[in-house]
Amino acid sequence: MRRSAHYLQVLLTFARNSLIRDLTFRTNFLLQAFTATSWTLMNIGFYLIIFHHTPSIGPESGWGKYEFFVFLATTWIVNSLLQTFFMPNAHEFSELIRTGNLDFALLKPIDTQFLVSFQRMEWSSLSNVVTGLILLVVGLWHLTTQPDNPLVLTVGVFLLYTFYLLCGVTILYSLMISLAATSIWLGRNQTLYDFWFYITNFSRYPMEIYQRGWGRPLWGFFTFVVPVLLVINVPARILAQPLRPGSSVSLALALFTLVAAVCSLLVSRFVFVKALASYRSASS
Amino acid sequence: MAIIELQGLAKSYRVYQKQEGLLASFRGLLRRQYQEIHAVRCVDLTVQQGEFVAFLGPNGAGKTTTLKLLSGVISPSGGGARVMGHVPWRRENSYRRRFALVMGQKNQLWWDLPAQESFRLHQQIYRIAPESFQRTLDELTDLLNVGSLVRQPVRELSLGERMKMELIAAMLHSPDVLFLDEPTIGLDVVAQHKIQQFLKFYQQQRKITILLTSHYMKDVAALCQRVVIIAEGHIQYDGSLVGIIDRFSGEKVVTLQFAEDQAIDSLDQYGTVLDAQPPKVRLRIGRSEVPKVLAAILNRFTIDDIAVEDPPLEDVIAKAFLQVDDPAGLESHPDRLA
Repeated sequence: MRRSAHYLQVLLTFARNSLIRDLTFRTNFLLQAFTATSWTLMNIGFYLIIFHHTPSIGPESGWGKYEFFVFLATTWIVNSLLQTFFMPNAHEFSELIRTGNLDFALLKPIDTQFLVSFQRMEWSSLSNVVTGLILLVVGLWHLTTQPDNPLVLTVGVFLLYTFYLLCGVTILYSLMISLAATSIWLGRNQTLYDFWFYITNFSRYPMEIYQRGWGRPLWGFFTFVVPVLLVINVPARILAQPLRPGSSVSLALALFTLVAAVCSLLVSRFVFVKALASYRSASS
Repeated sequence: MAIIELQGLAKSYRVYQKQEGLLASFRGLLRRQYQEIHAVRCVDLTVQQGEFVAFLGPNGAGKTTTLKLLSGVISPSGGGARVMGHVPWRRENSYRRRFALVMGQKNQLWWDLPAQESFRLHQQIYRIAPESFQRTLDELTDLLNVGSLVRQPVRELSLGERMKMELIAAMLHSPDVLFLDEPTIGLDVVAQHKIQQFLKFYQQQRKITILLTSHYMKDVAALCQRVVIIAEGHIQYDGSLVGIIDRFSGEKVVTLQFAEDQAIDSLDQYGTVLDAQPPKVRLRIGRSEVPKVLAAILNRFTIDDIAVEDPPLEDVIAKAFLQVDDPAGLESHPDRLA
């Protein structure tokens, strides 16, 4: 069996086992899905209130109500994918290091980063992908049917959107696994959820809001050093404000996102391997 | 053929020395004191294919650390090791497919799922062919008598049943080398006995090489031809189980069944009285004194039955550990150590 097919098969079994486990505690599963969806709906209520006060986020920014719906939907989809596939594993990884149970992962004849990154999935968190997709459809429906300057979408745009969405997921995953891997050196690192909260707070708004006053250094830092501003902004712009002359999304930004995703992944791999070499297990 | 070779293997690490009190905790934020712990110091060992070796030693002696080094879980700070020609801490998949580590105090199965699901995952991770997987699984569940339990969530199994499942998971890929770290810890005597029987049968059938650490001497006596005692990171003894008794115990336990209607007194002149419940008495006598003492006793008393035995293995091993802990004891008996 080819290596990629082998890994895919193991990945599918992780997914299957996680689903079996989640469905074993069905009330917990339903409650988690309900809580996540409720939060999302409250979130959209909050933004609807804001758009009662202003037609767009910033003058001439191009982020009107329905463009922002696309942005918001992208946020939910990215966050939901991370919470389903990577967040439980990153959290578990810190625990595996603290308790010494990472020993078992190191014994398996499979890439350790793959194993600790995918072995647990939290399917109830995927509910927000569904709500995100609904919001995306609503936003795009209005944008493509508006009388003035209707948005024209092609299959290529959707493919590009999906690609950059995955780039965004890759950037956040890389940050998350690097942070979790530092637990090997620190012994304990409980900042994972705090980190998640801070980072998603910065990445969940259009870039334009950072381009005034003291927001500029923040924009620079979160674009070029810890590139979380690219995570939602780039795919959302590709869909809601397609690349065109004069568009705020330049080709350079799109290319930079690709480079940032690849570099993030390489850096995370480096940090992971380095950290693993320092692993000293825990007393049995 | 040597399957495990260790040359000067060493592992040390730094441990934070926390002083008592809140003030010391604040000071520790700025400056910390560390102590260098030498878990394993310069261990040389060769194990041949098909050997069943017990790794004994007091808590903190370096047994588990050695097994973790041999499994590639941690890297050494000095020396080298090869298992089946592989350097363990390079973590090559070709090596990881050929050995297994079972830790009695840790659980690798999915807690909320039936063991069957974890076994299936192992099949895929280890790339075991479906027919071979089913055949091995049937054989192992049959040997351990846990056929129906594989469909029960792991969290609902007893400790003994869970350990059996851990053993199955570890053996599904038919490892050539098995590292067992206290596999019977916390189990009742029946479960211990079943696991011993299983390991003995399996090792004899497959001729695999096993390194076992255990604090239960019954495990060691039932399974291992060779015993290695490790203490303070060094190998202190390497030989047979009988050899341990010879080296570390110069005494025998003699049980005497006296005939009725006779006065049993002044027995302490013959040795240390361990237990006196007339007409049955147990004495501890120096090994070389046994023939002379028995002749004297038989001359003076009417004896219905005599048993001459080695002291319990636990006592001998405890004595060996105590000697190892006590450098003065070591110096006075240098010939007793490897």
